[in-house]
Amino acid sequence: MKGRVASSVLALAAGLGFATAALADGEFAGVTIEAKLIGGQQYEALYARIADWEKATGAKVNIISQKNHFELDKEYKADIAAGTTNWCVGSNHSSFAPQYPALFTDLTALIPAESIAGFVPANITAATIDGKLTMLPRAQFDVSALYYQKSLYTDPAKAEAFKAKFGYDLAVPETWDQFRDQAMFFAAPPNMYGTQYAGKDEAINGRFYELVVANGGKMFNDDFTPAFNSPAGKEALQWFVDLYKAGAVPPGTTNYLWDDLGNGFASGTIALNLDWPGWSGFFNDPAASKVSGNVGVAPAPKGSAGVRTGWSGFHGFSVTEGCATKEAAASLVDFLTNEDSQKLESAAGPLPSRTAVWEYVLEQAKGDAYKSEVLAAFQETAKTAFPVPPTPYWIEAGNLIFPELQAAILGDKTVDQALEDASAAVDDLMKENGVY
Amino acid sequence: MSTRKFPPWLLLLLPAFIIILAVVAIPLIFSLYSSFTPYHLTRPETLWKWTGSFNYIKAATDVNFWKAFGRTVLLLTVALNLEMLLGLGLALMVSKVTHGQRALRTAMMFPMMFSPILVGFQFKFIFNDNVGLVNNALQSLGLTDVAIPWLVDANLAMFAIIFAEVWTSTSVFAILILAGLFALPQDPLEAAKVDGCTPWQSFRFVTLPFLMPFIYIAMAIRSLDVARAYDIVQVMTNGGPARRTELLWTLIGRTGYVDARMGYANAMGYIAILMSIGFTVYFFLKLQSARRELGMGG
Repeated sequence: MKGRVASSVLALAAGLGFATAALADGEFAGVTIEAKLIGGQQYEALYARIADWEKATGAKVNIISQKNHFELDKEYKADIAAGTTNWCVGSNHSSFAPQYPALFTDLTALIPAESIAGFVPANITAATIDGKLTMLPRAQFDVSALYYQKSLYTDPAKAEAFKAKFGYDLAVPETWDQFRDQAMFFAAPPNMYGTQYAGKDEAINGRFYELVVANGGKMFNDDFTPAFNSPAGKEALQWFVDLYKAGAVPPGTTNYLWDDLGNGFASGTIALNLDWPGWSGFFNDPAASKVSGNVGVAPAPKGSAGVRTGWSGFHGFSVTEGCATKEAAASLVDFLTNEDSQKLESAAGPLPSRTAVWEYVLEQAKGDAYKSEVLAAFQETAKTAFPVPPTPYWIEAGNLIFPELQAAILGDKTVDQALEDASAAVDDLMKENGVY
Repeated sequence: MSTRKFPPWLLLLLPAFIIILAVVAIPLIFSLYSSFTPYHLTRPETLWKWTGSFNYIKAATDVNFWKAFGRTVLLLTVALNLEMLLGLGLALMVSKVTHGQRALRTAMMFPMMFSPILVGFQFKFIFNDNVGLVNNALQSLGLTDVAIPWLVDANLAMFAIIFAEVWTSTSVFAILILAGLFALPQDPLEAAKVDGCTPWQSFRFVTLPFLMPFIYIAMAIRSLDVARAYDIVQVMTNGGPARRTELLWTLIGRTGYVDARMGYANAMGYIAILMSIGFTVYFFLKLQSARRELGMGG
């Protein structure tokens, strides 16, 4: 699979010619930009473009750190604590960004307005914190859609049994209630489970959050008092509890994170799976997945308020407030998120954050039924996607909420008790930090 | 012009003083100070806001903190006793081996050579409910037809963590007790034999009292190790689910480095250190009394 991705990236690189004409020759000669970037094989193709920017501007880029976002997050916090924030460009993520209100500068004045106008407006809104455009999104936009095993919906015996039990036709779920019914129906543990969910850390908070929104609720009020201990919140948590109690999810699901989910669906033991776009190629790769050729993709289902779930996030690049050469740093950030860069990154599967690149990838996918289905499902879900609440305490509050969600799922607490305890703990946190 | 001379002992000790000051004393004083502030890593100005005993009171009145404290004491008690019993048994058996004892001693130390992080990953896989070795073996043998949630069930998850701890560190006890067995004088054992003692009586009243100082040394070392257990637990369960395996240091680590609430984390850390000091003092006193019983002074 990697080989195919690499060759398609090379072909695309050759085809695009990577125009760097917009950059003035030698504009930043002698400048060295220190950068802290997210590391990983899937990001390297974009970083290979940095040499083009260096050649065009005369500047040098010195990558001083390459880690995953969780590690970068810790490093940024340590940098803020130590006052060592004079490096210039850093990878950022919409879920983490609100935690560093003073670390990164406002890019509005540093990036040409026409460049900013080319991004999907919702992404720019999500990248703007307290009126500051803190990052430019790269082609790593994430929202989850529904992956399912197609064969489960073509078996007449199953369709008949389902209708007899639930009173409506078996079809790919459009609501989370239908999803729950079907997950329970398809489950035959320990060899087959109806679904699975990420069960800890920010992952389960995100899933809970989007379900609360889909049910017509919200996590926080406008003054950031907790608002999830509500009928919508209880309905959302009950959904997780019901699936666990019914044995429709693997018993270890409260310990699962993204890799466990991806590998679980690829193992063929999961019927329905809400997951990220980055897995689409893996799921349909015969060498890696037992469900290849049998994967359907649909937009994320809707909650009881008729709202589609759509917890979204994206990677981006930011420029630090302490950077001595902000113009050069902003030029690099602009370059790494421009159309050519996004076409290169999205060729390997990730979703773009520029309008023109969305159109481009849809056009490119014509003729490939699976890829078209994937893109259509994610595009539909992306239309109503929403980022995490814009508070620096999202992660911290999440660390108080998720153990309570787990306690309800595992039966240690009732749904009411768990949400009441979580709400009280988050309320204390907000008060202690002077939020209200 | 008079040159002031430092006494030679001070000059010789000065590098050690400076190093200890830089790497131990100053960070310790700094962290102690920060435990009286609302120090948040991403808001450095909070370091200068004195809040007195607020963090200590918050920790002392937090039921989750005390549950983690209790769980850490439980882990310490069960793991140390199991490691001691297994280590003692292992050492007694190895001491009787006449051929290939060196190879056995080396093999016995293998688990200690693995990084705790890797041990954590290894047991996380072994105890995975869906694709793990244990469940697959149990299902293949027809002993169960359900997926046992080893890392989720409150008792089984603690068992899995204790199992991993015991697997990796029993050899610490075995090696130290083996050293004690090699140093064991033969005269009292022979005298016991002549007096008609059974093998159990010889072990209980001659061998074991002699080994007790070695056992207490191992206990003191391992109690410090287990009390700061973090790596294996972090990888296997990260204190979850629903705080069922939350130990002091997974809680403190998350509070300090993920939530960035370093002031509060330091306050919890200082309370946790009291526990470690308590266990160390206890084992040290037991060691002294064991040595006195053997007429070794102390």
